[in-house]
Amino acid sequence: MKPANAIYFIREAAQSLSRNRVLSFATITTVAVSILILGIALLMTINAGNIMNRLESDVQVIAFLDKNLNSSEISAVKRNIEKIDGVKSVKFVSRDEALKKLQESYGKDYDLKATIGKNPLPNTFDVKAKDPHQVAVIATKINKINGVYKVNYGQGVVERLFQVTRWVRVVSIAFIILLAAGAVFLIATTIRLAIFARRKEIYLMKLIGATDWFVRWPFFIEGMFMGISGSLIAVLLLALGYNSLVSRIGTIFFMPLVSDPHLLSQLYLSLIGIGALLGMLGTYISINRFLKV
Amino acid sequence: MLVQFYNVSKKYDNGVIALNDVSLKIDRGEFLFLMGQSGAGKSTLVKLLFREELPTRGQIFVASRSIVRMKRSDIPKLRRNIGIIFQDFKLLETKTVKENIAFAMQVVGASKKDMQVRVPEVIKMVGLQGREDSFPSQLSGGEQQRVGIARALANRPLVLIADEPTGNLDLETAQEIMQLLYDINRLGTTVIMATHARELVKAANKRVITLDKGKLVSDMPSGEYLL
Ligand SMILES: Nc1ncnc2c1ncn2[C@@H]1O[C@H](COP(=O)(O)OP(=O)(O)OP(=O)(O)O)[C@@H](O)[C@H]1O
Ligand SMILES: [Mg+2]
Repeated sequence: MKPANAIYFIREAAQSLSRNRVLSFATITTVAVSILILGIALLMTINAGNIMNRLESDVQVIAFLDKNLNSSEISAVKRNIEKIDGVKSVKFVSRDEALKKLQESYGKDYDLKATIGKNPLPNTFDVKAKDPHQVAVIATKINKINGVYKVNYGQGVVERLFQVTRWVRVVSIAFIILLAAGAVFLIATTIRLAIFARRKEIYLMKLIGATDWFVRWPFFIEGMFMGISGSLIAVLLLALGYNSLVSRIGTIFFMPLVSDPHLLSQLYLSLIGIGALLGMLGTYISINRFLKV
Repeated sequence: MLVQFYNVSKKYDNGVIALNDVSLKIDRGEFLFLMGQSGAGKSTLVKLLFREELPTRGQIFVASRSIVRMKRSDIPKLRRNIGIIFQDFKLLETKTVKENIAFAMQVVGASKKDMQVRVPEVIKMVGLQGREDSFPSQLSGGEQQRVGIARALANRPLVLIADEPTGNLDLETAQEIMQLLYDINRLGTTVIMATHARELVKAANKRVITLDKGKLVSDMPSGEYLL
């Protein structure tokens, strides 16, 4: 693009925007609303994902050991567990520790030991998986090891949790796609009207010998301007709103809200990029039909 | 040879056969009339020349290049060698005389400097000095067509194509426009003009091609035509 032409393209785009002031404003508003909702949905997804990750990472297999194992047999079991594919960590919890934890959960006023006599709890291993989705498979393998008499990984509950997290992800992606399509459609409509208003000029330009890109550029600039300014407004509102939410509430379901500035600025930049992309896509959809001269 | 048509036929999507097996040659520097009744296919022939339409059959060469096999991306280059003049002028109402002409140069990527030299030059050629800053709505029909001609000339085309350039003008104004076209032709630009106006064609004493229902029915050297 020649610099002299760039000035011409930008002037043409600005003229077209101001000629269709009301429509341009309506489009920018719609883009802003779409991107805002998209941004809210993304923030929710990110936070939901964060919560899921934390919940998922709490998922573990508890391996209950036979009562009468000596310490070398216990370390043999540990080695066998560590050998299993996908195991991240294996932590030994002695029966005394387990009882102490249990006692803590009942409170000081209730003497658990006195009530039940000698410690009924077994020694256990707490096993974490690299991928929490693998716990069921790992649990089955652990169960086969000699010296393990039972495994527990929250059977049923874990499967339900993974089902819920999958649905949340699918639904938010579908929602986001729908919104983006709406924004593209609106930009396409605005650009189509802008092109329609100038179709005679475009026809003339083509007959004189203008290249397709010479005709396209002003409209692309117009579309991108609408996309970018709409998304800028949205990002501004989103950043203000989310920041005040983080500083006021800070947590959701007892989990901290995501506030990593690096991640957030990346999100905001991507939203602006998406706005520009929506603008280009909307323009592209509308313009080619008019260039077939 | 500037233009060659070999057995060119054009059938529109609706089934109308607008041109039927037309062959013709046009030399550089010629002045050529295209005659024929309404619907004979004059405008279609003109549109084939600058590839607004493609022929259904046959070959067309402009400056030795086949415009049938031409890539889409090469069309702008073809059109930059052709100046087009329209019956309804097709001036941009929001631009002045000067700007309308400069626009045509800008569209093909001319530099500011070129425009500053060339625009006054063509304005002088068509005799519109003093009207540079008028808008089309402030000009008479004849003056508007002069702007149209100046715009077509701005990029120094090899050939000027005019589809009924005098169709919207009275006889006297039409004769002035014809005079302008002869002058341009004398300076070396090929001119192809489609028209109904028998008086103008007779008076011109130039080559005349006559179309009838899409067929080329006569090709006479000096102001004679069938029909
Ligand atoms: N785009 C088109 N689609 C379908 N048919 C067309 C199209 N353009 C022209 N025609 C038909 O092709 C035939 C030739 O039309 P054309 O415009 O070439 O005639 P013309 O000689 O220029 O007529 P006029 O003197 O009225 O301008 C006519 O029957 C017309 O209806
Ligand atoms: Mg015609």
